[in-house]
Amino acid sequence: MSAVFTRSAALIRPQLQRLRSPHSPFSPASLLAVFGVQSLRLPCASSRLSHHRQTAAAAAFTTSAIRAKNVTVTFIEPDGNEVKATGEEGTNLMELAHENDVDLEGACEGACACSTCHVILPDSIYDSLPEPSDEENDMLDLAFGLTDTSRLGCQVLLSPEMEGMRIKLPSATRNFYVDGAKPSHH
Amino acid sequence: MFSRSLRVLGARANRRALSACYLRTRCLSTTLNSQAEPVTNHNVPVGESIPAQSSVMPIYLDAQATTPLDPRVLDAMMPYMTENYGNPHSRTHKYGWETEKAVDIAREQIANLIGAHPKEIIFTSGATESNNTSIKGVARFYKGKKNHIITSQTEHKCILDSCRVLQEEGFEVTYLPVNKGGIIDLNELKAAIRPTTALVSIMAVNNEIGVIQDLKEIGKICHENRVFFHTDGAQAAGKIPLNVNDMNIDLMSISGHKLYGPKGVGALYVRRRPRVRLEPIITGGGQERGIRSGTVPSSLVVGMGAAAALSARELDYDYQHISKLSRRLVDGIQSRVSHVVRNGDPNHIYPGCVNLSFSFVEGESLLMALKNVALSSGSACTSASLEPSYVLRALGAEDDMAHSSIRFGLGRFTTESEVDYVVDNVQAHVNRLRDMSPLWEMHQEGIDIKSIQWSQH
Repeated sequence: MSAVFTRSAALIRPQLQRLRSPHSPFSPASLLAVFGVQSLRLPCASSRLSHHRQTAAAAAFTTSAIRAKNVTVTFIEPDGNEVKATGEEGTNLMELAHENDVDLEGACEGACACSTCHVILPDSIYDSLPEPSDEENDMLDLAFGLTDTSRLGCQVLLSPEMEGMRIKLPSATRNFYVDGAKPSHH
Repeated sequence: MFSRSLRVLGARANRRALSACYLRTRCLSTTLNSQAEPVTNHNVPVGESIPAQSSVMPIYLDAQATTPLDPRVLDAMMPYMTENYGNPHSRTHKYGWETEKAVDIAREQIANLIGAHPKEIIFTSGATESNNTSIKGVARFYKGKKNHIITSQTEHKCILDSCRVLQEEGFEVTYLPVNKGGIIDLNELKAAIRPTTALVSIMAVNNEIGVIQDLKEIGKICHENRVFFHTDGAQAAGKIPLNVNDMNIDLMSISGHKLYGPKGVGALYVRRRPRVRLEPIITGGGQERGIRSGTVPSSLVVGMGAAAALSARELDYDYQHISKLSRRLVDGIQSRVSHVVRNGDPNHIYPGCVNLSFSFVEGESLLMALKNVALSSGSACTSASLEPSYVLRALGAEDDMAHSSIRFGLGRFTTESEVDYVVDNVQAHVNRLRDMSPLWEMHQEGIDIKSIQWSQH
């Protein structure tokens, strides 16, 4: 795709996978998504697909998307590079990172089946969030560089309280890219 | 071979004696017939000792050092040493699937022994590794916010050494003293807990004196103060009832070879709710929840699981059998030999561990005199050094009493006739050694040993 479409493509790509829509990027649901009309995401991956099919089409008729706030957070990459990212309330951190080309991998695409989207939150935000589920904790056990304020990025949703939050990324993931290779974006 | 064994033990040989004898003499079946040695009657104390080259083994009374493999455990392990040799982490073929299933069953068996969920059991190479992982792992994970550890002075060497290593790394460690009976003071524990305390580690049953700590109360105190509670359950698992939820235990170490299982395997219980996080000391492919990477030794683990299942089923029976033998041993010795002190609070003691101090007799010489009995003075881990037991020192025992202590370890396969033999021999040899002892002579004359000023050489 040419550079003109790159930004929209970056927006479409995650949505495409979630919606499992036909290959054409111009289906009604994805077009709506391109124009910034996004539905609220649920934490549980399994019901996301069906929910999106219903709400993506209906989103045009709701005003909730318009009322949803934008939250700005900062990702601190392992090499010290800071990336400011703005997302809608309800986006999970992994998606937000992908949308802003932050070096965070999400191998299972938010299915809570890996530990590659491991992020380290500040103490105050970590304490205010609900306890992670057993499944998330089991996956976190396998994460590299675990701390006591670690969470899986795909399970943490943006909320207005997180405005200005500084999210630290661990120096490595469970994948052995010791040669400096980077995982390709899915 | 069996008829010879029956003759050795007399007509009173019961099933346990048979299995015990089977364990001791099964390896001798090839030699016994060819050499035609004189058969020893264990019911009469021997005047001469059995020569060292003889293939007859002494009576085993060192259950705290290790326990014989239960034949039923060996039966469970055999298929995984011969035909089912797959790597349990191989997910692509039947060898792996079958072995993984067996490992999962073993995990459940060990979890049932302590009242845990199977997902909370991690297999390690033994209780030493489990202790190292839990203490160093928990301390290092919470290093930023918590830097204090509490343990007791009578812990196993691997725990004390791990604490010492952490002290070098900048942690603070409180070593709680014990009272004369070997029990820690709960008020002292409460006072020692700080907001920066990460872990409290108190062993359930002491390996030298057999003292049982009040785990339920300690667990309650730790839970109230939101401190993790680790207990070294190597000598306790399968011997006394344990429940990690009732006792608020967050981490527990279990040893395979103390449970009539194989050596080289152990388990670590790590609580999932509320989650205990720790920094692994062995990292790699992320096996065992990332806490202990490496291929799980399927045959050893299956053996340990079988041993745990047997212990869970036979816990009450074994406890009664061992209590009976323990009373027989202690009463027998104390009634026939004077100036014998039992180390450890008799109201909070595991009967299978009898630690006696014989005044005016040196423990090592008594050990050597009791050649036909496999015993220990102090603990197996200190047997190479000359340091008197630090556990006995913590009890307040004087150096001379610490040096004169012997530990008798009774197990599932110990028989009454073995205990009677030991009592007879102890009486004979202690009296013989005391006859030679100048301190005993002085004591008989009424001189107070403590008042003597010994001249230095």
